[in-house]
Amino acid sequence: MLDHRVIAMVLKEALKKGGDFAEIYVEEKNLTGVVCEDDKIEKVNSGRESGAGIRVISNENTAYAYTNDLSEEGLLKTAAIVAHAAAGAARDLSINLKQRHSDLKLPFVILPEAFSFEKKVKVLLDANRAARGVDPAIKQVTVSLADLHKRFQVANSLGHLVEDEIVRTRFVVNAVAAREDIIQTGFEAVGGVLGWELLEEFDVEQLSRQAAKRAVLMLDARPAPAGRMPVVMFSTAGGTMVHEACGHGLEADLVQKGLSVYAGKIGQEVAAPVVSVIDDSSLPQKNGSFRFDDEGTPGRKNVLIDKGVLKGYMYDRLTAQKDGVEPSGNGRRESYQHKPIPRMTNTYIAPGDHDPEDIIKDTPYGLLVKKMGGGQVNTTTGDFVFDVQEGYIIRNGEVQYPVRGATLTGNGPEVLKSIDMVGNDLGFSIGTCGKDGQGVPVSDAQPTMRIKSITVGGTGSGEGPEVRKVFWF
Amino acid sequence: MIKPEVIGGLKLKDELLKVGRWAIEQARSQGVEAEAFLLHSEDLTIEVRDGQVDTLKQAEEIGIGVRVFQGNRMGFSFTTALNQPAIREAIERAVAGARYTADDEYNGLPEAVEGYPEMATYDEDMEKTELETKVEMARQVEAEARRYDKRIKVVESSGYEESRYSLAVVNSRGTEAFQRGAYCGLYISLMAEENEQVQTGFAVEARRHIKDLDPARVGTEGAHNAIRLLGAKSAPSRPLPCVLEPYVMTSFLRVLSNSLSADSVQKGKSMFKGKLGQTVASSQVTLVDDGTYERGIASFPFDGEGWPSQRTVLIEQGELKGFLYDSYTARKDRTTSTGNGMRGSFRDLPSVGNTNFYMLPGTVAPERLWDDIERGLYVTEVMGMHTANPISGDFSLGATGIMIEKGKLTYPVRGVTVAGNLFDFLRDIEGIGSNLRFYGATGSPTVRVKSLSIGGE
Repeated sequence: MLDHRVIAMVLKEALKKGGDFAEIYVEEKNLTGVVCEDDKIEKVNSGRESGAGIRVISNENTAYAYTNDLSEEGLLKTAAIVAHAAAGAARDLSINLKQRHSDLKLPFVILPEAFSFEKKVKVLLDANRAARGVDPAIKQVTVSLADLHKRFQVANSLGHLVEDEIVRTRFVVNAVAAREDIIQTGFEAVGGVLGWELLEEFDVEQLSRQAAKRAVLMLDARPAPAGRMPVVMFSTAGGTMVHEACGHGLEADLVQKGLSVYAGKIGQEVAAPVVSVIDDSSLPQKNGSFRFDDEGTPGRKNVLIDKGVLKGYMYDRLTAQKDGVEPSGNGRRESYQHKPIPRMTNTYIAPGDHDPEDIIKDTPYGLLVKKMGGGQVNTTTGDFVFDVQEGYIIRNGEVQYPVRGATLTGNGPEVLKSIDMVGNDLGFSIGTCGKDGQGVPVSDAQPTMRIKSITVGGTGSGEGPEVRKVFWF
Repeated sequence: MIKPEVIGGLKLKDELLKVGRWAIEQARSQGVEAEAFLLHSEDLTIEVRDGQVDTLKQAEEIGIGVRVFQGNRMGFSFTTALNQPAIREAIERAVAGARYTADDEYNGLPEAVEGYPEMATYDEDMEKTELETKVEMARQVEAEARRYDKRIKVVESSGYEESRYSLAVVNSRGTEAFQRGAYCGLYISLMAEENEQVQTGFAVEARRHIKDLDPARVGTEGAHNAIRLLGAKSAPSRPLPCVLEPYVMTSFLRVLSNSLSADSVQKGKSMFKGKLGQTVASSQVTLVDDGTYERGIASFPFDGEGWPSQRTVLIEQGELKGFLYDSYTARKDRTTSTGNGMRGSFRDLPSVGNTNFYMLPGTVAPERLWDDIERGLYVTEVMGMHTANPISGDFSLGATGIMIEKGKLTYPVRGVTVAGNLFDFLRDIEGIGSNLRFYGATGSPTVRVKSLSIGGE
């Protein structure tokens, strides 16, 4: 990592031609990945990467440059590039760097370096065997492990300095089942900010069987119906829905550009009273956890929607300054190659008080979503879409039969208002969230909940509560 | 080894090849066959808002990825530090990794090749053009969009982007390849508002040469795309004939290219498996991948393994003709690589991927494709294509578009889903426009399909 003297020198150089704020972000990371596919260890990959990104903000405009060259000479050259792009009165300031502290503990027990290729290979081969053992219809299984050990420094012209490290681990399984012309897939992923104790927290062989079973189950599923209907989202579905339908619209950059449906609605009712939405980077071991965000702001819990009322947005430093508030610890970047922007961390809808089973029992007709796939949202209109990996038809309060190929399409604010029952459980899912060409690791969670009415897209014929085709089953 | 003053200069070619050769020598002294992939790139991004430069980003990146073969076992490692100790360490890590990978008879380096197609992939003018000129182009995109219609209320971002890069591949069988490449582009995304309804629009254009960029065209198109959707409402659920804009079709083609990769086929992850020579699409459909297509931004003389690029016909008049291969999958099928061993960067192993992948245009003017449609949907945007299943072909997407009634485009539609199966979709294509539009490396004409399942009210 860089000498503090060099950091101060680079910041000074960056502000030489003017500008309100300068920052340097330095990272050094070791990554490894192992992939098992086609019943064999197909790839092992490891790499070392280091680089620094420097930015200068002047009049709310950003100049950013990065390099892999961490020599004093290379950094000063990069600082000169941003200095050249910045406008304003020349400044000559002395920078006194002071280290910031966080009380948050993120313990890493089994570090990536301590978990050999040999051990990783064994984990993958066992998981592969477990998935393939589920059913002869399983034709392909891909299992992979990846880890990252990153050390980073962030320092700015206000004198803030943060030096920290982060460890990430991840396990992913994807199973393909085929019968005649039908092919279906099942997917599970676990991971977070922790060491390889991840494998003690989760039984990855069990997860692999689960993914394989889902692929097989979907072979026999009927095509999902199309049309508007009630949807029960089980907690195992994970939080893709809250992430897409609501989270993005609460990121301050989109709000300030007038691109969010939640702009100007602080203090207003934007969701049903049973809905509270929280973003919390301080949760231990989750995929979006950290002690400091990528601008050096300590991570914390932010209540965004409290019992249906909009309380606040997610801020990085620049958007916080524009709104005259404190940064909320949501300034994140994919790597030294990107400028920080407001991002989610671990986002969830807070649990309510219904027994999840009661929510199903209370539903005369609808779709039960047990597992979600990916999603996408247009934050300006609030329109979103995501796909259902594992869905069932509910009739008369009972789970009837699996359906495949369903997607949920709706409008974020409308859906949040039409949630009428919230369960007392909470289920997490992990993902990489993409925005402005940057991917950052996040987790999302929700309790079991019911949406009164939402558009389901599928290839099956639309069937409502009045079932006309009942004899065909 | 590479000094900062050398980077960007004429000596870059010599330097990258020198480092590559040195890495190969080191690997050979450890008793392994090896391949070095080196990348140096310089990127520029200018993002403009309200006539001001919101973000100016300049980047320089360098790195090496080393792939080694210990017998039939493969290892890989990369580093961004191009000095001797760091490269030596990367080789050691790659060799260590190779102990644990499968002993696979199809693993190995591609044979040395005789030469590469002559191609112009670099634009000297792009490098010479002043930063201020590029900023002005980005500003002009925004200004044109605002001028187009006063209902354009917010321009989220508009900008200019360029990437200039040098690639070298050196391997222990004698391959030595080097080429410089560049591309640039303009983009805009914006919002129109009327009667409290907002609609978004965007436009993007990427070119090999900076002189081919047209800021006015990009700005106007972005604005038009949002304005035409104002007043959109839902539509009833029913199957309808659909006409898909090239942008929408390219999303479908991206999913399809995955199923046409030999890797997917060999691993049983493609519906095209075992269907060579069969009819898999309407007779109007011809799909090609062409790494030598002059105007394509993915054109390059060689792929990530140093294998020459070529034009590969995948589907010809509806008949499945072939797949995309890298050297590994080619060996497995006893054929030769099609030059599709692609790498995202020096951080990745090569794997099968497309170059310029496109559907050949037909003969019908695109705006004549819906003349005889009584009731249908003209689809302008789909959301959630990443959720389409490339293996089964099932898709169900959020969509916006314009209703077609009695052969005319009538009112805008939003909040509906379109669902179907990609393979049925290919067979149901009944009209292909005479236009061809690229989005990145994927290109398509406007396409008419017999029926898709629309989910709405």
